[in-house]
Amino acid sequence: MNQSTKLLTGAEIVWESLIKEGVEVVFGYPGGAILPTYDALNKYRDKVHHVLVRHEQGATHMADGYARSSGKVGVAIATSGPGATNMITGMATAILDSSPMVCITGQVSSSVIGSDAFQEVDITGASIPVTKHSYLVTDIKKLASTIREAFFVARTGRPGPVLVDIPKDIQNETTEFIYPTDPVSLPGYHPPTETNESHLQEFADMVNAAKKPVILAGHGVLLSGACKEVMELAEKASIPIATTLLGIGGVPDSHPLVLGMMGMHGESWVNHAIQDADLLIACGMRFDDRVTGTLKTYSPNSKKIHIEIDASEINKNVLVDLAVHADLGTVLRQVNPLIQPSKKLDWVETISSWNKDSQVRDILNIKSERLMAAQVIREIWEGTDGKALIVTDVGQHQMLEAQYYQHDEPRTLLTSGGLGTMGFSLPAAIGASFHEKEREIWVIVGDGSFQMMLMELATAMQENVNINIAIINNGYLGMVRQWQELFYDARYAETPISSPDFVKLAEAYGLPAYRVDSLDNIIPTMKLSQKTKGPSLIEFIVEEHDMVYPMVPAGVGLHEMIQRPHPKNGQTKNQEKSVL
Amino acid sequence: MKQTLIVFVQDEPGVLNRISSHIRKRNFNIESLVAGKTEKKGITRMTVVLNEPDKTKQKIVVSSLSQLDDVYDVIDATKTDCHIREYALLKISVHKNDLDKIRKSVESLHNQIIDEKDNAVIIELTGSEKDVESAIQSFDAYDILEIVRSGKVAMVSGNFFENKPSLTKKEPNWATGQILDSF
Repeated sequence: MNQSTKLLTGAEIVWESLIKEGVEVVFGYPGGAILPTYDALNKYRDKVHHVLVRHEQGATHMADGYARSSGKVGVAIATSGPGATNMITGMATAILDSSPMVCITGQVSSSVIGSDAFQEVDITGASIPVTKHSYLVTDIKKLASTIREAFFVARTGRPGPVLVDIPKDIQNETTEFIYPTDPVSLPGYHPPTETNESHLQEFADMVNAAKKPVILAGHGVLLSGACKEVMELAEKASIPIATTLLGIGGVPDSHPLVLGMMGMHGESWVNHAIQDADLLIACGMRFDDRVTGTLKTYSPNSKKIHIEIDASEINKNVLVDLAVHADLGTVLRQVNPLIQPSKKLDWVETISSWNKDSQVRDILNIKSERLMAAQVIREIWEGTDGKALIVTDVGQHQMLEAQYYQHDEPRTLLTSGGLGTMGFSLPAAIGASFHEKEREIWVIVGDGSFQMMLMELATAMQENVNINIAIINNGYLGMVRQWQELFYDARYAETPISSPDFVKLAEAYGLPAYRVDSLDNIIPTMKLSQKTKGPSLIEFIVEEHDMVYPMVPAGVGLHEMIQRPHPKNGQTKNQEKSVL
Repeated sequence: MKQTLIVFVQDEPGVLNRISSHIRKRNFNIESLVAGKTEKKGITRMTVVLNEPDKTKQKIVVSSLSQLDDVYDVIDATKTDCHIREYALLKISVHKNDLDKIRKSVESLHNQIIDEKDNAVIIELTGSEKDVESAIQSFDAYDILEIVRSGKVAMVSGNFFENKPSLTKKEPNWATGQILDSF
C-alpha cells in the first residue's frame, strides 16, 4: 500500500475530509444513524471541536453564524429522520442569505432505504428546495470526493448550503482514504471567472455620464470581499450608497456617502434617493421585494447596472440596462480606473435636505415614560463604541437595530434577512463566537423570537461562550402586531405573547441575568454584562405599542412610505406625499 | 430485471415531480419515464421503467405509488402480455455515394429518413428496445452525430386483462374517514 493512503472507515473518512477542508469546529447532535461517525470523533478531538447543540435547527444556525462571521464554510451534523428534518429551516435560512454551509446527516443503512425504516426520511429529496446541492452517498469510495465537492459547491460562486447524507453501513465500511487533489468538475456548475471586457467600458461610461447615481450595496459586497472597491468607486465619483439589510457593514455607516438601509423600513431619504436617481449601480444584491416596493414605480427614471455572480438573479425582478455576470470585486478593480473623478455636490446636498424632516420625526426625540426599543439599541451602540458583533433575530428589534446601530466594519451584523427565521440570533451568535474570539458579541432579540430557540442557552453555558443577550421585551409579536394595527384595524389576533420570567430562566440555566426598564440603567447594566466571562442576559422592558417607521406597505412604491407621526401632530398616521 | 409501470395520474402541475420524488425516496433508479395525454381529458399516462431486481421492493413501489392522491391507477406491466415500444432519431453524417446504400438499409428495417440536409440525414426508428438498438448498431459504420431516444411506452394487449386501469375517481370511504361528533 502507498504510504500516503490509509485504510479507514467511512466515519473516519468524514473527519479526515473535514480536517482537510480546514474545519476546526462543528455543531451537531448524535443519534442512531450517525453513531459510527460520533464514535470516530473520539480519535479527532485534538483537531476538531464538537459543539453539542440542544436542537438540530440550532446546529444549522450556529454553522450559519460561524460562516457569516468568518467567511469559512460552517458545518452541522445530525442523525437521520427527525435530526435531518430539523435542519431544513436552517438550510433554508442559509440558502436565502447565501451562507456557505455543509450539513452532514446519518441515514439508515443502504439495505433498508425506502422501507420506511425507523428514523428514515428521504432528506436528500426533502432538502432539494432548500440546498444548493444535496448528495446521498451510496459508495464508500466516493465518500471523500463527495465531501470535497460539497465544500467546493458551498463556498464557490454564490455560496449556499449543501447536504451530504451518509447511510450507516457506509460509515462502517472501510476503504483507502485518498483525498482528491484534482480540480472539482461538475457538468452544470460554472461560477464566472472572467468579465466581459466590453462591459467594463460601458459600465464606466454610464457612471461617468450619471448626474444622480446611487450604489445599492448588498450582501455580495461582503461575500466578494469588495468593501474597499465599492468605497473607492463611491468616493471617486461621489456616489451615495444605499445598503440592503444584509449589506450593512459592507460599507462604513459613518461615511458621509453612506445613506443607510433602503427598502420597506429604510429611512425616507434613502428611498427617495433611489426613486429620484438617474443611475442605480446594484452590487451583489437581488432586488428583493422588501427592497424595491412595487416594481411598477421602482426608480422609474434610472438606468440600471447589475453586478451579480448568480446569473439567475439578473433580470429576475428588475430589468437592467447593463448586466455584469461576474464577481463584484474583480469587476470593480477593472472598472474603477476607468471612472472619472467628480463631485456631485447638488445631488448629495439634495439627499441631505430630505434627511431634515426625518431627524425631527426621530423616535429618539420622543419623550416617553416607558423605555423605547430604539433607545435601547442606540445605548447598546454607545456602550459598545459601535464595534460589537451584533446578531439580531427577526421582527421590530431587527429593523430598529438596522436603523439605530451604525456598523462601520464588515461582518459585524448577522441577521436572517431573506427567510426571516425567528430563533436565528442566539444559535448564530454562539456559532460566530467560535470565530470572533476577541470581539464583543451582542444578541439583540425579541421576546417572541427568543422563545423559539431558548434551549440553546444550555449550549451557550456548556461552551461558556462570551455573548451578551439583550431581550427587547414588549409583550407582543411586535412586527406582526404592527401589521395588524396598520392593515387589520388593530385586531390583534394572537400577537400578545406571554413570556417566562427571563431573569429567573437565565439563572436556571446558570447565566447572570438583569432586568432594565429605564434609560438611565442601560449603560450601567451593560457594564455588568460586559464584565461577565461567558454568557449573560439582560431583559429590557420596553414600550408595547411602538412601531417601526418609516414603513413602505406591501404593494406600494418606495416613495409612498408611512412616516413616523410628527411629534407635534400626535398619533395621526399620515401617509407622506412624495417630495419628488 | 427491469420493471415497467404504467401510471395514470391527474394532469396537474407538480404531478411529475411527485411521482419521480416518490420513486427516488425508495432509492430506485429510473431508467426511463415518459408522460403524455390520454384518451381521457385531464388524465396523464406515464410509462416508467425501473432498474430494481428485488421483487419485494418492486411490489412496494407499485403499492405506494397507488396510494398517492393524484394517481388513478398503477399497472405493473412487467409480466403481462404487453407491448413496449421506443422511438428514436438518429443523425448520421453521409457522403453522397453512401446515400443509396443508407436508403436501402433504412427501408429494409421499415424505418424512414425524415430529413436530408448538409451531408447529414435524420433517420426515424421505432420498435422494441431490441429493434431500436440493433437498428442503431447497423449504422455503426457511419459517423453518428446525434442520437435521441424517447424512452419506452407500454400498452397491455387485449380488452379484458385482469389489471385494467380504473380511471374514475373513487369516492373516499366515508365510513372510516368521517369525523365523529363524540367519542
